[in-house]
Amino acid sequence: MIENKKAHKFGMVIDLDKCTGCGACMVSCMAENNVPFKEDESNKKDSITWMRVYRLTNGKSFPETQIAYIPRPCQHCGGIGDHGHSPCVSVCPATATDYGYDTGIVSQIYTRCFGCRYCMGACPYHARYFNWWDPKWPEGMENYLSPNVSPRMRGVVEKCSFCYHRYQLAREQAIVEDREIEEMEYQTACTTACPAGAIVFGDLNNPAHKVHQIVKPDPHPDPLNHKVVGKSRNPKVFRLLERLGTNTKVYYMSDREWVRKAGDNYLKGEWENVKTHHGASSSHG
Amino acid sequence: MKIDRRSFLGLGLGAAAGIALSPVGVKLTDDSSIWTQNWPWTPVPEDGEITYDRSVCSLCPGACGISVRKINGRPVKIEGLDDYPINNGGACLHGISGLQYLYDPARIKTPLKKTGNKFEKISWDEAIALVAQTLGKIRESGTPESLGLITGADSGSMAQLFARFMDAFGSPNTYTMPSLESNLALTAAALHGADRRLGFDLDHSDFILSFGAALIEGWGAPVACIQANASRCERKAKLVQVDYRLSNTANTADKIIAVKPGTEADLALGLCAVLLTKAQISTGRLFGDVNKFAFATMVVKEYTPAKVEAITGVKAADIEALAMEFIKAKAPVAVPGKGRGDVGQSLREFAAVQTLNALAGRLNKEGGVFVMGPADYLNFPENVMDEVAEKGAGKDQLAGSVNELVDTLEKNGGLSALFIYNANPCYVLSNPEKVKAAMDKVGFKVSFSSFMDETALRSDVILPASIFLERLEDVVSGAGLAKTVVGLCRPMVKPVFDTKHPGDALILLAQAMGHSIAQSFAWESYDSCLGEVAEKIWENLSGDGYVVIDDRPPAGTPATDFSFLASGPKAAEVMGEGDYTLVPVDKMRLAGGSMASSPFAVKTVSDKVISGKYSVVEINPATAGALKDGDVAVLKTAMGTAKVKIGFNEGIMPGVIGMPRGLGHAFNNPYVAGKGVNVNDLIGPVIEPGSGLDAAFGVKATLSKA
Amino acid sequence: MSEIENNANDGPGDGAHQCTNNGPKDDKGLGLGVVFFMGAFLICFLSGWLLFPKLLYSKKEQPFNFDHNLHAEETGDCETCHFLREDGTFSGIPGLVACMECHTDEPMGETDDEAVFVEEYVAQGKEVPWLIYAKQPDCVFFSHAAHTGADGMDCKTCHGHIGESSSSRPYEENRITGYSRDIWGKNIWGIKKNSWDRMKMDDCAQCHLDKMGHKGYCFQCHK
Repeated sequence: MIENKKAHKFGMVIDLDKCTGCGACMVSCMAENNVPFKEDESNKKDSITWMRVYRLTNGKSFPETQIAYIPRPCQHCGGIGDHGHSPCVSVCPATATDYGYDTGIVSQIYTRCFGCRYCMGACPYHARYFNWWDPKWPEGMENYLSPNVSPRMRGVVEKCSFCYHRYQLAREQAIVEDREIEEMEYQTACTTACPAGAIVFGDLNNPAHKVHQIVKPDPHPDPLNHKVVGKSRNPKVFRLLERLGTNTKVYYMSDREWVRKAGDNYLKGEWENVKTHHGASSSHG
Repeated sequence: MKIDRRSFLGLGLGAAAGIALSPVGVKLTDDSSIWTQNWPWTPVPEDGEITYDRSVCSLCPGACGISVRKINGRPVKIEGLDDYPINNGGACLHGISGLQYLYDPARIKTPLKKTGNKFEKISWDEAIALVAQTLGKIRESGTPESLGLITGADSGSMAQLFARFMDAFGSPNTYTMPSLESNLALTAAALHGADRRLGFDLDHSDFILSFGAALIEGWGAPVACIQANASRCERKAKLVQVDYRLSNTANTADKIIAVKPGTEADLALGLCAVLLTKAQISTGRLFGDVNKFAFATMVVKEYTPAKVEAITGVKAADIEALAMEFIKAKAPVAVPGKGRGDVGQSLREFAAVQTLNALAGRLNKEGGVFVMGPADYLNFPENVMDEVAEKGAGKDQLAGSVNELVDTLEKNGGLSALFIYNANPCYVLSNPEKVKAAMDKVGFKVSFSSFMDETALRSDVILPASIFLERLEDVVSGAGLAKTVVGLCRPMVKPVFDTKHPGDALILLAQAMGHSIAQSFAWESYDSCLGEVAEKIWENLSGDGYVVIDDRPPAGTPATDFSFLASGPKAAEVMGEGDYTLVPVDKMRLAGGSMASSPFAVKTVSDKVISGKYSVVEINPATAGALKDGDVAVLKTAMGTAKVKIGFNEGIMPGVIGMPRGLGHAFNNPYVAGKGVNVNDLIGPVIEPGSGLDAAFGVKATLSKA
Repeated sequence: MSEIENNANDGPGDGAHQCTNNGPKDDKGLGLGVVFFMGAFLICFLSGWLLFPKLLYSKKEQPFNFDHNLHAEETGDCETCHFLREDGTFSGIPGLVACMECHTDEPMGETDDEAVFVEEYVAQGKEVPWLIYAKQPDCVFFSHAAHTGADGMDCKTCHGHIGESSSSRPYEENRITGYSRDIWGKNIWGIKKNSWDRMKMDDCAQCHLDKMGHKGYCFQCHK
């Protein structure tokens, strides 16, 4: 790990009360990242969607039913204390995925990957996808592929990169203008596409960024597991399977308690303890 | 000399040692591992300079501004255009996947002529000559009115160019496909006078009462509506959704009023009755309006809360409370058009909802409904019409609407030639088999389609159109938007195939026909025509890419004519028999109109909507009987039978089956077509007297295990 | 031939045993074995050194000769033609439009190459299909801005003295990988003397380690 005071920690917070489930983020992601498509994509287990919108309901009958759509990109786990021990990075035997301590982004290098799929088994979020087939575009359609993201080949794993190439491009611009990149210069394709403005992306380490202001990540150890895992001090904000200590950089926000509760598998009575622990770090100063 | 195995051993060892001490091993190991990383068949996109170009998307009536990212001039990505007055940087999934339409496997690559059952490639010259010759004969025979045109709703220069052609040719037989835009125009015509458009100022309303309008699933200008809804949440403005299932719109609503399908109009009239009796607004507000007393008397008598409760299933007390909440809000607005508001709508329902707005004094008010005049920015020169044209154009239309046209054609014929532009009636209209039969009664069909869709497949000649990314065109906002914005769609690439701008095709055709028609179309090209007819705004349009013609409430309060509702029109009957009511369900991720979905869009669709080759139907588990989630079942209506998969969904009213619209396409695009059932196949048209609309919101159905 | 057959017919069971036992006594056989060994060794060794590189790489000539030296003298630097765009991306090899900022549709010199340029490319408005010696595979992202701009690295550090060449050497492409020979380096062992002799990932990583104290993260250079 490099000690770098200026290290970024890019992350996002998704407002699940604003998300309409329209799917623009999914398509924007696919178009941005040269994600291929097959004739039948209804088997979602082999349907490559770096960004996938899940649908949850509160289980009640009409008209009391409620839906929550949960967009799920790669969660870019930092592990405890952001030491980079994300589930997938820890198991990759090929160093085809690593943790960028300068950005907090978990990479995936297709040409390095040899397809063992350990990372897929390790990922608690099903964010990784395997290319069972070579990508195939209808005649002529390769013409719209972007050179900023390498098309993948059969036999490798792929996943969301937080549109790293957009960071690279923003950085090049900043370099020639001899300045730091600004908040709005580096935004993921899903964020820019969302017509409801449900996704806020930025640097969780930068107090000037909106995502930091919403999430207010806790720099202190979490009172529940005594580890530094960047728990949000905003009572409306939660993460998926937060208690695993994966320390994900994708936060979710909802006013609805049933939605927040759906973020993890709580045993009876556990939720009552957890839900009051938001913002508990104030006792630590 | 004895060569023994030892010699061979020596040979082998020598070779091995020689190779080991040469670079071969190291190099080949490295190279072969690199080779496995770079399969020659994995495409390597060409790199280059990144540029951004602006245009307007015309895939749907939303008319969003788009930014096209190009690499060395090659488009690679479409995104929403920042600061565009309709979508403010937002985009929908269909627009974002726009580039897939450029290379769609179903694109028509050259002009085609049908010989027997097969299409044959022909040149543009041959195609234009063939159409001109056939149409010429029709004119010579003195029956120019037997040329028909079916077109999508549009009010830009292309629509006017087609209208001009029909006039110059001498036919009144132009028919517009049902759309929210055309339904609103019909409503405005019935209530406020001809040539008006309705715009709903959702951005400034604090109480939106939506009668099933799928505001975030593609109603009107989809991105504008989604953004209005997002801002509504921030403004703490209320949304009350009248619906029979938990649509995504209903899900964001503050309150859902559960109604039986097809009774939305009754609820609206019930609310009107409450307003007239309880809020006592009849005296002042209806001053100067036509037939107001007859309407008030009828509605107060026929639509008492108790009666409406019996029809709609909404409690009388709730009806009264809703009406009072509506009238007490600062800027309430009632929004008609369930789903996307295009197919299966009735004028009775639209008029009832608009009457609610009129009674609440919400016409031409900020946050209410704008009754707007036509977007008047085009100036076409005087049309040259010869005697044949004058005579033909003066004749009566064959039918009152496209639905009635289908009926008439199927029974009696009546058209000898038909143009189809921007429309896919053989897929979109209810009972497509009947539409196909009607089409077969027309001798000569000319399609201006870009894709070999269900209707193009039945045409005799195809003059393939370049798609929006390949052409210049003015695109006018519409579809319920409370402002008028003209955007300029600009070519982002040269036509990928041997296609032409449909405007150019029409101009070439007119000129090939000679005489007065050629004089009416004396332009060099469509591009020069547009510059000329849109001269009034051309400088700003071509400079800024758009012109906002109006975005304020129109002055004054328009008069309302209550005659249509005062006559007490009856609700359309639901066709057939069965325990269930089958209703189509509009999904944001599936295009349902004349434009089919893209491969990307279909990919995003849940496995609770498409499962392999099956459509998945929504059904409340409480009324599923013996059927289980995931079962294959046979769905039967008066119009047809289909095998579907059962998808349990607590979010739909018991007894109602929801079937996704936009599936079951049958054309050559394996990523999009051949999946599920076209819901229109199962629903028969129920034509509403007085409007000609197909008011079949659904159909009775039975469901049994396959 | 018959001897071989006889030998082969000795029987499979004790063949190996016989060989090792009889070997040291059978001088002729050993001698022949050594001769075969030496022969095979020499042939394979020499082919590996001399023939293999020739077989491994295909040679392609550039569309026509380009005199870097002359152009660099005229323009004074590399950046006139190989510049960073305003957005910070690298322009790479200039396109026809850039050439035409100085050139016209009349040949500027009397060389055959100039004539080819004018006739085959300028007149027909066709881009020159230059073969790029330093071309990296698709999986590589390289920021010229970060290296030449922020860090002030000299072009020579990676590209060597190409700017001083007056003739275009043939482009050599690895038949297996499709990579330019410059990636692995001219030396078939991949041994380098100068920083520009090789452009493999290890070279990037080494330089990063030396200068930044860390080899860098995958995504810094891969896409």
